[in-house]
Amino acid sequence: MKIVKKTLFYLLASLVALQFLLPLIWMILSSFKIDEVIYKDMDTIFAFVPRFSDLSLDSYVELLGFYNIFKNVGNSLIYASITVVVGLTINSLAGYALARFKFPLKDWILIFIIALMIVPIEATILPLFLVVNEMGLINTIPGYLLPFIINVMNIFLFRQHFLSFPGELIESGKIDGLSEVGCFFRIVMPSSLNMYITVGILTFLASWNDFLWPVMALSNADLMPIQVALNAVFADTYNIFTSHMMAALTIVTIPIVILYIIFQKYIVEGSMQSGIK
Amino acid sequence: MKKLIKRIVKVRNTTEHLRQSEHYKTRDIVSAYGFLTPALILAILFIVLPIILAFTYGFTDYYLLKPNDKEFIGLDNFKRMMTDEVLIQSFKNTIKFVVFVVPLQLSMALGLALIVNKKIRGVGFFRTAYFSPAVLSLVVISILWTVMLNPTSGLINELLANVGISKQPFLSSASQAMYTIIAISAWSGCGYQMMIFLAGLKNIDGSLYEAADIDGANAFQKFLFITIPSLKPILMFLVITTTIQAFKLIVQPMVMTGGGPDYSTITILQYIYEYGFRHRNVGYASAITLVFTIFLVVISIFIKKLFREEKAA
Repeated sequence: MKIVKKTLFYLLASLVALQFLLPLIWMILSSFKIDEVIYKDMDTIFAFVPRFSDLSLDSYVELLGFYNIFKNVGNSLIYASITVVVGLTINSLAGYALARFKFPLKDWILIFIIALMIVPIEATILPLFLVVNEMGLINTIPGYLLPFIINVMNIFLFRQHFLSFPGELIESGKIDGLSEVGCFFRIVMPSSLNMYITVGILTFLASWNDFLWPVMALSNADLMPIQVALNAVFADTYNIFTSHMMAALTIVTIPIVILYIIFQKYIVEGSMQSGIK
Repeated sequence: MKKLIKRIVKVRNTTEHLRQSEHYKTRDIVSAYGFLTPALILAILFIVLPIILAFTYGFTDYYLLKPNDKEFIGLDNFKRMMTDEVLIQSFKNTIKFVVFVVPLQLSMALGLALIVNKKIRGVGFFRTAYFSPAVLSLVVISILWTVMLNPTSGLINELLANVGISKQPFLSSASQAMYTIIAISAWSGCGYQMMIFLAGLKNIDGSLYEAADIDGANAFQKFLFITIPSLKPILMFLVITTTIQAFKLIVQPMVMTGGGPDYSTITILQYIYEYGFRHRNVGYASAITLVFTIFLVVISIFIKKLFREEKAA
């Protein structure tokens, strides 16, 4: 009885797993085939099971021959990294100020931050475009990056985190002659590394995956981040081979897979934390 | 949220007399404002200012290419919304998406979480497998599925043919396109929420189930009376975030269907994008933005209330 139950469980769990894995397997396998083979294999098991004689890197070489997708991958990596570094600094400094100091209007600033948390950011994307447009920053990197460097949710998360930061540590830093700024960068930041990694990874993923805002703010082909470039390549669908498209999709996915493998724990924790408001 | 604000105000009031007697240290004030200024400037420029602009432009006929011609036209934009058939269609589409995707995705996520919560060998593999679509960006997901769902030569139709089902048009049919987008969105999003449910399941006190066993409860009763109530805070969080996220649907229809066929998949945000950004008709699109933003804020407050009242009852 127990064996039967166990077998049924594994059977069910595996069937469900196939629903999630097969599209990914097909994507990756097809990127190593030529179109003729992709379509020949489609109604056979070889759509999902590799036959090594048919696999080659040709589609990758050809794709890069007519479109240098690595340029856009590079753009995205740079944009996401800048957003993480500058964003973490600015947002955590603000969160720290709200947690540690006594100053006039403190409560009102906190209420202001919390009120901004319920603004559905993407919904106001058009007036955001107008603001950036009026500043003359459309099609520039600062115009694209600055609006999403600020993240009120992260300010709030950092504030909550720093509320329980031991004050003695900071005092001892001051005795050693550090300024407030020095204390922050030398003591507070290094001892909150987990928090920074968690928020940083989520920020990185959001920036890497962003599509709508760069479509509006960066139309220059040289500056395009990867998600926009992918769509531009794909929109030209009659001129692109399926194998080339799958190669492009696979290339774009690899950095994120690596990120997930290294930081798995932080990603899940982070999404949980932002849930506890 | 409101509770938190109330609490802050209360703390403020009770400490008012203390505070007036105590002096702020100049050093603290300088440091605090120094630390806060960059964030506050960015927040005002890129969060507050857009809302103010939506307010002001929403009452004008601002056309981006003729910036000097904008005139105050009162409520005309809002009146126009009432009779704008495509806008009404995009509102209906968005509602349809939300109503289907939220329950579908969350119940899939909970189902998956229940599977991987079993203490059984190999469960780590299943967890990774269910979570795997989370590594794909929305654009990658949209392109991959568009290729797989191609009506004439796509993978899915070939697989369906193997089990004797005729070719389906999927994204190229007005009656199927939105349901296809709903299914793909649930497929791609549920793994992430499974992880959150899983964390909640692991937190449930095991002795509750033992007590239920003694009382002779069956598996379904245990699920209904122990698991679900224990997951309530997480459920509330997921319902709110998923609902708001779903209302802001745009990437999938933008990449997969362009809002078609026959406006069957155009969403509110996409309509704003088309009108305000592509056609530069900023006045009217700002008015829609304004209504949409207020609508979303009201919805999230409403859902929170709903859960809280149930809790109190």
